[in-house]
Order: sequence, then C-alpha cells, then structure tokens
Amino acid sequence: MRILVINSGSSSIKYQLFEMNNKEVLAKGIIEKIGMHGSFLKNTRNDGDVVKLTGEIVDHQAGIEYLLGVLISPNHGSIKSLEELDAIGHRVVHGGETFKSSQLLSDDVIKKIEECSELAPLHNPPNLRGIYAFKNLIPEIPQIGVFDTAFHQTMPDYAYMYAIPYSLYKKYGIRRYGFHGTSHTYVSRQACNFLKVDFSKKKIITCHLGNGASITAVCEGKSVDTSMGLTPVEGMIMGTRSGDLDLGVLTHIMNKEEIGVDSANSLINKHSGMLGISGISSDMREIEKAASEGHDRSNLALKMYEYRILKYIGAYAAVMDGVDIIVFTGGIGENDVNVRKNVCRKLHYLGLEFDEEVNSKTRGNEGEITKSSSKVKVLVIPTNEELVIAEDTMKIIKKK
Amino acid sequence: MEPVESVEKIEKYSLKSRKKKGASNVFTKIGIVGCGILGQEIAKMASSHGLEVVFLEISDKKIQESFNRIDRDLEKMIERWGMTASEKRAIISRITGVTEYSHLAGCEIVIESIKSRTREDSVEIRKRIFKEIENVVDEKTIIATNSTTLVITEMSSELSHPERCVSLHFISPAAEIPIVEVARGLHTTDEAYKKVCRFAKLLGKKIIPVIESPGIISTRLIATMINEACEILMEGVASMEDIDLTIKAGYGFPLGPFELADKIGLDMVIRWLDNIYEEFGEIKYKASPMLKKRVRANHLGRETGIGFYRYDSEGKKIEAERKDGC
Repeated sequence: MRILVINSGSSSIKYQLFEMNNKEVLAKGIIEKIGMHGSFLKNTRNDGDVVKLTGEIVDHQAGIEYLLGVLISPNHGSIKSLEELDAIGHRVVHGGETFKSSQLLSDDVIKKIEECSELAPLHNPPNLRGIYAFKNLIPEIPQIGVFDTAFHQTMPDYAYMYAIPYSLYKKYGIRRYGFHGTSHTYVSRQACNFLKVDFSKKKIITCHLGNGASITAVCEGKSVDTSMGLTPVEGMIMGTRSGDLDLGVLTHIMNKEEIGVDSANSLINKHSGMLGISGISSDMREIEKAASEGHDRSNLALKMYEYRILKYIGAYAAVMDGVDIIVFTGGIGENDVNVRKNVCRKLHYLGLEFDEEVNSKTRGNEGEITKSSSKVKVLVIPTNEELVIAEDTMKIIKKK
Repeated sequence: MEPVESVEKIEKYSLKSRKKKGASNVFTKIGIVGCGILGQEIAKMASSHGLEVVFLEISDKKIQESFNRIDRDLEKMIERWGMTASEKRAIISRITGVTEYSHLAGCEIVIESIKSRTREDSVEIRKRIFKEIENVVDEKTIIATNSTTLVITEMSSELSHPERCVSLHFISPAAEIPIVEVARGLHTTDEAYKKVCRFAKLLGKKIIPVIESPGIISTRLIATMINEACEILMEGVASMEDIDLTIKAGYGFPLGPFELADKIGLDMVIRWLDNIYEEFGEIKYKASPMLKKRVRANHLGRETGIGFYRYDSEGKKIEAERKDGC
C-alpha cells in the first residue's frame, strides 16, 4: 500500500511517499515559496536521487500537480502511475470537538473542517487548499485527514475548560483543544519503545519545541493536559507567538495602540515570541549567536523561553503526581543542547540526573540524555508526524 | 558522499489533467483598470489572497503614484501590527502596473475602477474601456465594474459578449468591509454570475445580491443621507459637528455624514447624486448647494485637505473646539 502524506502550509507543502508494507519512505520533499518569486520543488528519492525543480508555482494546486508529475516521472519518480497511490493522508491542524480521530475526507467532513477554520485561521485554510487541490486533480483517490487536536480529546473537562461563562463553551465551543497531537502521540510511544517499558503505565511529559511549541502531559497512554489551547497561541513562548499572556494586557494594548481584533491577532501571532523579545529573529540559532555576542535582549529571550518550559514541566509533574519520562522533540528539542541543559539542570528535585556529555552529542538523533541511575528518564526523540499520519490513513483505508 | 542535486525546469513535470479540470474555476490573475484609492484597495486585497494582480493606469507616473500609496498603506499596517514585512513583500511582488491593455490578457476577471468627471463621460469612457478589455481577454473572462450608479447593461451594451459582465461593488476600505454588492445586468448569464460570486468568496466576502439599479443599496442610502444632512445644516437646525455626533453616538455609525462625505470625496458624492437623480428624477436626489459650493472651491474632502472639515497632511481631522451653547 502506498500513501502520500501531505502537510500543506501557507506557502509551502511538505510531503512523504510511504510504502506501508515495510514503512519505507520512497520519496520525500518540499514545495517552497508557493505564489512567490523563486518558488521550487525539491524531491529526494530513497536511492539518493535529489532534484530541485524551479519555475513558477502559482498556487497549491499547481504545486501538487507538479509534485504528482515528479512522483510518476521516469527520471526522478518513485511510482509508474497515479493508480499506484492508494490514499492521501493530510495533516489538518484543527478538528475542534467534532473530530476525536482521523477521518475519511468526505464532502461533509471537509465542510466541518472549513467550519473549524475560525479556530485556526493561520493553519486550516492552507490545509484545506491542499485537500481541494487533490480533490480537483485526482478525485478518485481517497483522502484522509489526521488532526493535530485529536490526541488531546482525552483531556478531562477540568483541564480543557476555561474559567469563563459556561454558556460560551456551549455556544461557540470555546475550550482548550491543544495541537501537535500526532507528534506528542509518536514521541511518547516511541520513548516507551526505546526504554522497553509499557506505554499504558507511564507518566510522560513531551516537549515539542519547534517554531511552534507545546508541552503535553501523557498519563497512562492518554493526553491529560497540554499547553496550547483553543488556538496555537497559548502556552510556550514560540518563534513569533507570545504564548501565555494576561488577557488584560491585550485589551490594554488594543486601547493604547487603537488597533482592532485583526491587528491584535497579528500582534500576538506574528510579532511576538522570541522575535518580539529579541528584536532580532524568530530563529533560535540566530538568537543564541546574538546572546553569545552579548546581545542583552536575546539573552533575556532565551531565559524567558527556558523558564516557561520549566514552569510547565513542574505543573504537569504535579497534575500527574509525578513523572517517569521527559521527551524533547521538534527542531529545537532535538538539536538545541543548551535549552535541554538549562532546563534539565533545574529538575534535580524530581530525581533527574542529567548527563551533560551525552546531551552535548545528541543532536537530531534518538537517545537518552540522563544517567542510567536517574529516576526520571530524559529522551531526545526526533518526531515523525508523517509516519503517524500514514499509519492512521492506512487503518482507515483498510476499514473502508 | 553527498548526493548530487540536479536542477531542472519545473514546467515539464506538469500534469495534463490540470488543463482539463478546474482551470476555469481557479482564479490566478486579475486585472484592474484605474488604480485610484479603491483600485489600490482591491489590488492589495486580491494580492494578499495569493492572486496575481495587473493594474492599468494612464501613465508610468500614475503607476508609481499608485505603488507609492500601496507601499505607504502597507507600511502603516506593519506599524500598527496588522502585517509583517515579509507579508508586505509578498503582496507587492504579486502586483504589476501597466499602461497597455494587452497585459490584461490571461486575467480571469478584470474590474473597471476609474474615476470620471461627468455622467456623460462616465458612461462613454467606461463603454470604451469595456471594449478595450474585451479585445485582449478570453471570451469567458469576467468584465466587471465597481461603479454603482451606472448600470452594467448600459456599459456592456456594445460588447460582443455582454453576458460576462457584472457589477461588483466593493465598499472602501475594501479589505475590511466584509460584504460586496453583486448586480447582474440584462444579459449576464448564471455562469458569469456564479463565477463572480466564487471570486468574491475567495476574497472572504459575503455576497449581497442586488437587482441592477442606480446606486443599488449602499450608494443610494449613503448619498441621500449626506444630502439630507446638508439640508439640515443649511436650515440652521444644528451644527455640522452635532449632526455628525448625533448619527455616530445615536445610531452607532463610525463616521457622521459630513465626515463620511469628506472621506468619500464631495465630487464623488455629487456624481453619485447626479446619476441617481438622472434615473429617478426625484428632487431629494438633487445635490445640495452645500456640496456644490465646496466642490467649486476644490474643497473635496480629505484628499485636498479641506471639505466640510480640515485635515492635516496625514489625512487626520483637525478638531475644532466644540461649543454646546450651554
């Protein structure tokens, strides 16, 4: 069975083509700068063939059309014809309360995803553009949506409710949903596989730290709390998002700056976070470089970033009455040895014995960064959201 | 050894199926004839939704002026947290200014958004523009006007394919106003009408379907309110400031009728009224002398720095001290 996994963003589309019999990735790549000058598609085949295709990619549909063209091309392709594709698995950011699991994308399901767009205005519309494009180009091939929010649907109500009038929850579905569900699912399971322990009996805190970031408490196989809320703005400090913020601050700024809801939304989503504090960049590597050269605001941004992670780990250890495993994943979690070091060094009280040497050598690969005697294990697990999407897609197709 | 990366042109990997399916349903490029304030707003809005925009102006100088203003408006949005610098770059990169109609070839929709001086001018110039557009675009390309007080049937009457013409009225500021009035002419087909509705939805607008009528809803109501406010002022019933305040505080309008007139441009308000009066012949649509006097003195509103009120170089109203007589 061959499954094409699609992560369709606002100006880029990431993809992986899986052979599910052995879970091998036949081809993977990215379409970048859609609708802009310098757009390109870069495809890497599993035999090492790499091709960069340059030219005008005006929109998502054009990009996907080229992607399908490459996958079946004699020179750089991995399959002979589009009939060899069994299904398309899409990452969909927000499934609201409607979707507790992955779904076959019927017209009705697509309509409900459109309705959820209000909750994730930056993410669901580009996800949908990918879905529409496949529907236009190869309507006969089934498409499946895998939701970032689905894993967190096991949260208890006292964790997911906001302390605002209950009627607003009933009226608009205002509650915490959480995101990065496929990543938290994968790394928490994979951590247990790595340690050869039973997933359904462990208390795990998973830290997905990328440009967007969230931390999840996974207790006995289920998400019981997560740092993101109704939208991906809540929780951690991120590249350009503020994370937790006193609501009074926002209304005060709106008053002072005389801005409306759209600008306020843009302020907390695009101008804040590490970029807003450092004034330099949203990229952690650039901020760390500036901090090492004595840039005070970059230094402050890093301290705030690590402090926020510590607070959440402490909180989630408390809600689960302890923690057995902490997992770092995402671009920063997998590669940034300093962030991991600065966080883990302050977790002695949990019984964590950090191994600085192993940590400094663990970049982008799976490994344990605590000593063998450590009561709490800390692992680095590169996330593999694509595989989770492919596996869910396969399950649904087989049922069908 | 690192894998060797080859670089090729993407076009040869195109699937033929795209040509067959969906292409006519997809909007990739739109044209705008006349890039004044509203034309610029439509250009920014369409480009921010990922569409390529070609706007036509009468000279390179006018093109540059339009770009300068678009640039200034987007900069203001960044300053006020509404946009990032990279979003601005992407929006500008999709907009092209031209002086030749031939560049409109390949557009799925072309919107006329010019400003003209008199009613006679308005119709004749627009008829000519429609013809020029028709000469260079595909026969399925939608030709639309943003004018409300002139009817689309008249403007499209000399075309070979009047069935693709629609009136598509955006209200300024186009990006923020969530509705658009869509009127079909006598010849407009369902296909053309639906295509325009798809375009409006792509821009996130709610469609207000209207029957072809000068002024349709928005212009007829607003022009009449401004005209009536002038009458009240002329009769000495209340001051300009208090008439504005009453409408704002009493009925929740963001601007009062005189502030609104200054924003729209008093010359434009007169043209609207003239066109509506021409059609209905009702005295209530006859432009007030309060408007005419100011237009003769070139006191057109915000654009010239003076209309009913005075404005600074940034277009901000210079507040006069309010007297309440108590």
